[in-house]
Amino acid sequence: MSRRLTLPVEGMSCASCVANVETALKGVSGVREVRVNLATEQATVEYDPARVTLQDLRKAVEEIGYGLRTATAYLHVTGMSCASCVETVRRALAELPGVVDVSVNLSTETARVDYLPGTVTVREMLAAVREVGYGAEEKLEGGAALDREQEARRREVSRQRRNLLVATPLALLVMLGTFQPYGVLSRLVPEFLHNKLLLFALTTPLVVGPGAQFFVHSFHGLRRGTTDMNLLYATGIGAAYLIAVVNTFWPASGFGGPQATFYEAAALLTWFILLGRYLEAVTRGRASEAIRRLMRLQPRRARVLQDGREVEVSVDEVEVGDLLVVRPGEQVPVDGVVVEGYSAVDQSMITGESIPVEKKPGDEVIGGTLNKTGSFTFRATRVGKETALAQIIRLVEEAQTSKAPIQKLADFVAGRFIFWVHVLALATFLFWYFVGYDLWFTPQTRLMLTPYALSGASAVGFAVLVSIAVLVISCPCAVGLATPAAIMAGTGKAAEHGILFKGGDAVEAASKVQVVVFDKTGTLTKGSPSVTDVVAQGLPEEEVLRWAALAEKRSEHPLGEAIVRAAQERGLSPEDPEEFEALPGKGVAARRRGRRVLLGNRTFMAEQGISLDGLARAAEELEAQGKTAMFVAVDGHAVGVVAVADTLRETTPVAVRELRAMGIRVAMLTGDNRRTAQAIARQLGMDTVLAEVLPGDKAAEIQRLQAQGYRVAMVGDGINDAPALAQADVGIAMGAGTDVAKETGHVVLVKDDLLDVVAAIQVARATMGLVKQNLFWAFAYNTAAIPLAFGILYPFVHQIVSPELAAVLMATSSLSVTLNTQRMRGYVPPVRRRYRAQEVPAAPGAAAPAPAGR
Amino acid sequence: MAQEPSSRKASTLAAVLYLGLSLLAALAFVVLAALKGETSWSARLIGGVWVFFLTTIVLMPVVIPWVRKRAEGR
Repeated sequence: MSRRLTLPVEGMSCASCVANVETALKGVSGVREVRVNLATEQATVEYDPARVTLQDLRKAVEEIGYGLRTATAYLHVTGMSCASCVETVRRALAELPGVVDVSVNLSTETARVDYLPGTVTVREMLAAVREVGYGAEEKLEGGAALDREQEARRREVSRQRRNLLVATPLALLVMLGTFQPYGVLSRLVPEFLHNKLLLFALTTPLVVGPGAQFFVHSFHGLRRGTTDMNLLYATGIGAAYLIAVVNTFWPASGFGGPQATFYEAAALLTWFILLGRYLEAVTRGRASEAIRRLMRLQPRRARVLQDGREVEVSVDEVEVGDLLVVRPGEQVPVDGVVVEGYSAVDQSMITGESIPVEKKPGDEVIGGTLNKTGSFTFRATRVGKETALAQIIRLVEEAQTSKAPIQKLADFVAGRFIFWVHVLALATFLFWYFVGYDLWFTPQTRLMLTPYALSGASAVGFAVLVSIAVLVISCPCAVGLATPAAIMAGTGKAAEHGILFKGGDAVEAASKVQVVVFDKTGTLTKGSPSVTDVVAQGLPEEEVLRWAALAEKRSEHPLGEAIVRAAQERGLSPEDPEEFEALPGKGVAARRRGRRVLLGNRTFMAEQGISLDGLARAAEELEAQGKTAMFVAVDGHAVGVVAVADTLRETTPVAVRELRAMGIRVAMLTGDNRRTAQAIARQLGMDTVLAEVLPGDKAAEIQRLQAQGYRVAMVGDGINDAPALAQADVGIAMGAGTDVAKETGHVVLVKDDLLDVVAAIQVARATMGLVKQNLFWAFAYNTAAIPLAFGILYPFVHQIVSPELAAVLMATSSLSVTLNTQRMRGYVPPVRRRYRAQEVPAAPGAAAPAPAGR
Repeated sequence: MAQEPSSRKASTLAAVLYLGLSLLAALAFVVLAALKGETSWSARLIGGVWVFFLTTIVLMPVVIPWVRKRAEGR
């Protein structure tokens, strides 16, 4: 037995932290799988609950200097009278998965529950308490989790802002004081600011105050034998500060002479890193904006009809079957079916559909959508975690937590980077001390962008300075953010358009798709076929249709329904068959009063030994028009052909054209005979037709395409096409509506719109483009800057990179990644820019063959 | 709980190893610096401390998992 939990981890700042947390959690005996995401600050853990408790996981994370972000719920518990009751309530709550700590207070009748947001709900806590015989109510309003989440983010942003506010004036004074003797500053800045003791007094609180976090995190990591970015910062800041102190109190020790105190290096280095941390905290908040926007949609109150009266209750209290009233301008509180009233509902927040959808009795409404015009009453069908909105939030959260394969590689590289950076720093120090200094050092040596001439630098001081520059400049902080930030932005943007990626791997796979295979029935077509022609041989047309309808009477296939409907429309009342058998991909056989009727394709008729003379030609003509021809045989003789055609979706031709324009091959998968399939494929401009495919063979067809070296996306109905969707590199399930979580496939489209297939691939390509650009900015910067810091140019220019310049370059890398990711905020898939729903041209020749391959 | 003493023992052994090796590296630096002609004791000391510090950081993530693996293997 295993359990899966998502833990919100606090304090991670780089890819190395990700590796540390992963290692720590994997080290807990009983943990099977761990995935840590820096951007969402979450760790998904699969573990054996019999061997591991949440406290074990929390301990493992805290031992290496990180924390688990928990939320707290306060319950008002009634009916407790003694310490035993307290223990019973405590145990009931503590046993819920996701509950970290419980404390129950008898005198105040309060239970305080610390829990992991997203794994357990207050509703479940209330139920657990009620189940053991006590009364329970929530002490806080619904939506408190969101508020707390926002509060936690706000706290982090304000903590970093406070650090920055303390550091900024100090760093500015230190910089002005250091450079006071130079240029115009000698006239503007008072001389006493240049006093080394004053600079010491200004820098020390900066390093031990706002800068202390780097030393504390490094210490926690080192205690467990792990290294992270904080260690690089701490080493850089600490070494610059110590050199400054040494030069202040022992100026002849050989670290650049009495003028080179390096207080400004320690101060500016701290300031730049703090600025980076602050910007990162702000950006991370924005990166999860998609989730927050979805969470904000969750209504908090509902108007329930109780004994004919409207009673306003918390949405958590609504149960399946409750009747709810929604007035104009109000949100629909949960999912349900309209029982009375008429209105138009804006569903754009869930489906991306810009036009309000009319709702009448019998129609489904989605929780979180906005009622526009009229009032209506509906019956709740899904509440709590089961609503479409809750499912979408969960899917998007999971997608944002999961890692794309490219990210795993980036994390692997970044995780080892710190180690190699320290090896390089050591090698740099030894090289410049033993070799480089004697060969190239001149008294004219300067630090880049500083006024210092390092004329008094000794070999050891010079070598230490260069190695510090290597340490600081090598920080791959941007690498840790490059991929997850882009994946979060991309999946969030996709969700806005009703496209739900189930993971970072789905985004990456979708971006590489070379062939898109569409299932025909219900995907390219609307899936509601109708009878277009009846060809009779030896019997009146009506009689042929009546026999066909009798054969299909018990069928649940759309084709059967179309034939039965056509018979009823012509006033025929098809009788019930006494025996019925459906043969998938071939047809049906039925028996009534001793007479046997068959309805099916050529193969089926041939297998039954029925001659099609006289009807074969008529069927071919119908098939050439793109219709599905079905033969009818009674007592072993062919008596007619029934032709059925489906209607293409309005967006089908546009979607096919757009995909082909993107360089993607488009294929159609159908059970229809080849002639019919080719007729419709020609009409749509398809590249490949996979015809006469039995339902059970769809996955094999996908496999065949993959064997030819193609990366294949399969678009189909999430339930019927499940094996083919699973086989494809990317399974795209269409038209999930309110049941997104049950859909198979790697990508779920909320709407029945083929243009969303195009949009999904465009979003995926844009996202992966962003990932690659971010990785480029992160790695290219390091690759280019490290040789510079190593002093490769020193023999020619006699200048070395100052620690503060190294910090500027490092911050530039993080900022490039952050700003580049922000570009995704305004992204609209090109196909959605070109075609709004109302602008899509009608499909030419709307008739399409019906689903013969059942 | 039974594993705790052996785990503590492995941690101690690892610490002795990486600190010992780092100290050796620092001493090697001091000796080589002297051979190179470095006359300043403070320079030799500072260089030695820097080498010790960097070597410790390099060795810790290598030595700790290696020792633990060996301890678990036993």
